[in-house]
Amino acid sequence: MSSEVETVSAFVEGAPPGELADVIADIKALSSPDVVSSLGPAFQKYNEEQFITVKLPESSQPVIISSHSSLGGGRYYDVESSSSFTFDHSNQKASGVQSYVLEGAQSDLVKSILKSLGPYVKEHFPNAAYGAYPIENDTKVAIIIASNKYSPNNFWNGRWRSLYIFDPSSGTLEGSIKVDVHYYEDGNVRLLTNRPSTASIPSGTGVGIVKEISTTENKYQTELNKGFADLSEGAFKGLRRQLPVTRQKIEWEKVTSYRLGQDIGGGSRR
Amino acid sequence: MATADPFDAALDLLRRLNPKHTTSHLNSIISLAPDLTEDLLSSVDQPLGVRGCRQSGRDYLLCDYNRDGDSYRSPWSNEFDPPLDEAGLGGVSGAGNDGAGEGAVPSERVRKMEIKANEAFDVYRDLYYEGGVSSVYFWNLDDGFAGVVLLKKLSNPGSTSEGVWDSIHVFEAIERGRSTQYKLTSTVILNLSSSGTALGEMDLSGNMTRQIEQELPVDGDESHIINIGRLVEDMELKMRNLLQEVYFGKAKDVVGDLRSVGSLSEAGRDREAQREIIGSMRR
Repeated sequence: MSSEVETVSAFVEGAPPGELADVIADIKALSSPDVVSSLGPAFQKYNEEQFITVKLPESSQPVIISSHSSLGGGRYYDVESSSSFTFDHSNQKASGVQSYVLEGAQSDLVKSILKSLGPYVKEHFPNAAYGAYPIENDTKVAIIIASNKYSPNNFWNGRWRSLYIFDPSSGTLEGSIKVDVHYYEDGNVRLLTNRPSTASIPSGTGVGIVKEISTTENKYQTELNKGFADLSEGAFKGLRRQLPVTRQKIEWEKVTSYRLGQDIGGGSRR
Repeated sequence: MATADPFDAALDLLRRLNPKHTTSHLNSIISLAPDLTEDLLSSVDQPLGVRGCRQSGRDYLLCDYNRDGDSYRSPWSNEFDPPLDEAGLGGVSGAGNDGAGEGAVPSERVRKMEIKANEAFDVYRDLYYEGGVSSVYFWNLDDGFAGVVLLKKLSNPGSTSEGVWDSIHVFEAIERGRSTQYKLTSTVILNLSSSGTALGEMDLSGNMTRQIEQELPVDGDESHIINIGRLVEDMELKMRNLLQEVYFGKAKDVVGDLRSVGSLSEAGRDREAQREIIGSMRR
């Protein structure tokens, strides 16, 4: 059974944005109930790695689930709303909200980052959650942006997630941006990207850090748009022509009498 | 939910998980539900393997329709590799199946059409793909025949921007005197990837399927090749346009819905100003 749990856990890990419930329903139809009941760790891993966002009861601003915002025991916290809460990994719902006040060496930097990060996120993401959290015994700060758009009625879903780790002692900002888009009308098409980044922020201020993030992400999105065009004009065009060189469809009546290399459908080749 | 059909659930799952790894997901599902093995292998399209024909030296494509156990039939020589102990004739093997895979070779008439179709689609491949490999396999049906047209092409393998195209066109031809009802199910598997310092890793992979049914006049076996040729050519043109739209239009648009390069508040102010202008013109 352990190998079965492993197999099914890999399905959970590969669930596209916004489709975890559909994947779980499929798993239920394909495996035994005791397998499904032992998927708790897989759900937690998925939610924390995908930076799943959740709205706290009586709040409109979504908050992020990640290992960086975990308090252990299924509880997570959010700095901006000064709250902690319990998160149910199987149904992705939050409950048991309590007040949580951030203290410690990085708390001023975290608050200063959030002050700049909020306006930046609102300027570029129509529907995103963000957060900043002290990590590694209060020596570094993790910064997360998670933007989701689900349109299952039109058979597509998408997620943009960025993670940056700022090290105040060296002034370095290391990060990665991951984009995941799934389109599944009469097919299954997936865009998966990963773009690592490293930068130096000598000022070490919240304003400086967010400015760097903004520059990096704008540059990356421009580069990704160029990536689509390059693949379309390059690899895609090199696979199959839209029409033969003659710009005419094949004359199938004649085709069986032709040998390879001879002219088909008029004009000359080569 | 708990009563969902396992076969439907398996297909739904394969429609959701990363299409670049369909073969490994398929093997995982089969390990969970071995009863589904045959149904899944015959209905899930996987990237095509390539093998060299021992007799002609030419490459041919491998799929479930020219497979018998671990052996595959070459369309150029009509021989299985590795050789089988005994192959049934007329598209019906000893086990009484309909001739695809399972050690059966098509009847003499259908094999003649298969040879013609392989020649015709070799020309088609050269004109549209300017490279790559094609293979056509036919088999007998009680009221006609069926077949699969396969095309595979790699572009820039091993470079920073590469792609693989697999076309799988499965058809049934139900013969009704002077006309034939053709039913075509086409899948294109298209995997693209690109990488670089500024771009990082970009993978754009997947598959799309379309079906068409058409009744066409037939005058001799040659016209079957002409009809199938046209159906496949029209379908591939449609699918190439569709793939272009989904891969480079839709996917890119969704990224733009997730994040905007330009400022959202400026875009909002522009829209507001436009509304005011239109409003003042109406007054």
